[in-house]
Amino acid sequence: MALSRLFIANRGEIALRVVRAAQALDLETVIGVSDADRGSAAARLADRALVLGPGPAARSYLDAMLVVQAAKASGCDALHPGYGFLSERAELARLCEEHGIIFVGPKPDMIEALGDKLRAREMAAAAGVPLVPGSGEIASAADARRIADQLGYPVLLKAAAGGGGRGMVIVRGPDEIEAGFHRASAEAQAAFNDGTLFMERFVPEARHVEVQLMGDGQGEVVHFGERDCSVQRRYQKVIEEAPCVAMPAALRTQLHGAAVSLAQSVSYRNAGTAEFLYDVARQEVYFIEVNARIQVEHPVTEMVTGRDLVQEQLRIAGGQGLSLRQADVVLTGHAMECRINAEDSTRDFVPVPGTVTRWRPPEGEGIRLDSHISEGAVIPPFYDSMIGKLIVHAATRDAAIDKLAAALDEFVVEGVPTTIPLHRKILRDPRFRANQIHTRWLEQDMFAKTPIAGET
Amino acid sequence: MTGPDQFGELEQLIAEFERSGLRELQVRAGDLEIYLSQDTTAAGLGIGSQVEVALSSPTTPAAAALPPVPEPVAAAAQAWPDGATVVAAPYLGTFYRSPKPGSPPYVEVGGDVTADSELCLVEVMKLFTAVRAGTAGKVVQVLASDGDLVSADQPLFVIAPIVGGAV
Repeated sequence: MALSRLFIANRGEIALRVVRAAQALDLETVIGVSDADRGSAAARLADRALVLGPGPAARSYLDAMLVVQAAKASGCDALHPGYGFLSERAELARLCEEHGIIFVGPKPDMIEALGDKLRAREMAAAAGVPLVPGSGEIASAADARRIADQLGYPVLLKAAAGGGGRGMVIVRGPDEIEAGFHRASAEAQAAFNDGTLFMERFVPEARHVEVQLMGDGQGEVVHFGERDCSVQRRYQKVIEEAPCVAMPAALRTQLHGAAVSLAQSVSYRNAGTAEFLYDVARQEVYFIEVNARIQVEHPVTEMVTGRDLVQEQLRIAGGQGLSLRQADVVLTGHAMECRINAEDSTRDFVPVPGTVTRWRPPEGEGIRLDSHISEGAVIPPFYDSMIGKLIVHAATRDAAIDKLAAALDEFVVEGVPTTIPLHRKILRDPRFRANQIHTRWLEQDMFAKTPIAGET
Repeated sequence: MTGPDQFGELEQLIAEFERSGLRELQVRAGDLEIYLSQDTTAAGLGIGSQVEVALSSPTTPAAAALPPVPEPVAAAAQAWPDGATVVAAPYLGTFYRSPKPGSPPYVEVGGDVTADSELCLVEVMKLFTAVRAGTAGKVVQVLASDGDLVSADQPLFVIAPIVGGAV
């Protein structure tokens, strides 16, 4: 039952990426866009474009019923949710099932289970995957104090329904635990309508390392190596690379094994990413969570493996199973990606919508740009600020840094400020070059010492 | 593109449309154009369609996608009370009067505020900023509506000093 007509329930660069992957597999494409994205690159390239509703996402991209009805009415037999928006809402996957549309992703129950961080921890523990020492659900502030005393400070309070740093509070000592508990609970309640918390021992100076997985839903799982996403700002990834050369080979093998066991233990279907903290001092990795979708940074994995992960997603959704075995996944060289956002680095990275008046991206061997922007393109105020991802591939990490830096020097964007100056600064930093960084490095060390220049 | 097959598809489309609960549907395929509506007062082709299907064609130029933003009103041109403070939007974005959908507004006209009082949220591209009064006083005017797209520096609230100083 190979697919024939695919509905793309997303926007921006990932919508364009999915349209291209589908067309390469000879699928017809229908995209549902908001009124603000009528003229977008993905809407032009797709065979059909449907306007779902007005610009604000709540009335277009985030209305699951509307999206599924549009897919149904346009005769689509499958739906790709991209990332963000409804991609990890079990409701969308469930509505697709009910309407006879194949959801390109995991089963609804799996999305739901993985969305609950406590349940995800239980699954990982059951599969023998190492966890950050931590707790189950915390019942009260007094309970929090008792658990924190056992774990040892500092501790991290986290929302069970959480993500993106919301409902997450670091507690450094017993005098902060009560206030921390109430603050995290209130934040989690406000953000997720669920104040449930759990606790982990806080790992200072950890790296973020994640394993790309692909499962057929029958228990077959292949990994595509790991990515290192340790350059972060406010829990958002800024630069991603593959492989994680900071990790010894034996530990990398262990990490891949842990991720694959977890996915196999639940017969994971389609693309997923198992995220881990890498405690460099202790040489240990700890499971954080599974993201049940294709991720923003998937291209770095594609560059080092030579595989098209979105096409693989579509083949699995079409019932063709995995197109390759583990031994077929061979890593070559080093890839690095930076996220280009329309943000003003001189004004605390406030996002800036507007019209791109000049767009001259770099070109060359080993340079890839995933972007929906062209000259004259409008960046609407309703969605996130990412306007492209610049990815390079070279023989080594050093060569990749040089290539990315040179590519960024060539990149001309006018009309809106971008994060290009930030990336140039990071790539010039000796600590980044020496790979002596961690997830708080960018905010703690770099911003503190060297403000970003105001150039665009 | 025309032929018996296409009419079969049309029947199917109409049936799906009826089942879908969508109010309107517009389809263009080559020289054929179809407009379906559940709404008996609908104006017809090309007007106010909620869902539109186009074959390989952009519907509007990109420039039309950015909604028009009202011109900032010059604060000096308005008749604010003496000593009033105008609180403006920090940047272009969506104006929200309450902390989350369905909850009561931060402030109402006539409400007293302190310098630290939050008056509204302005959101651009997922970045929410709480706008504070910056001065103590009474809210005498709210110049934008919930959900409005506001421009940078657009006046949002007028705060008058409280005469006599009692709060």
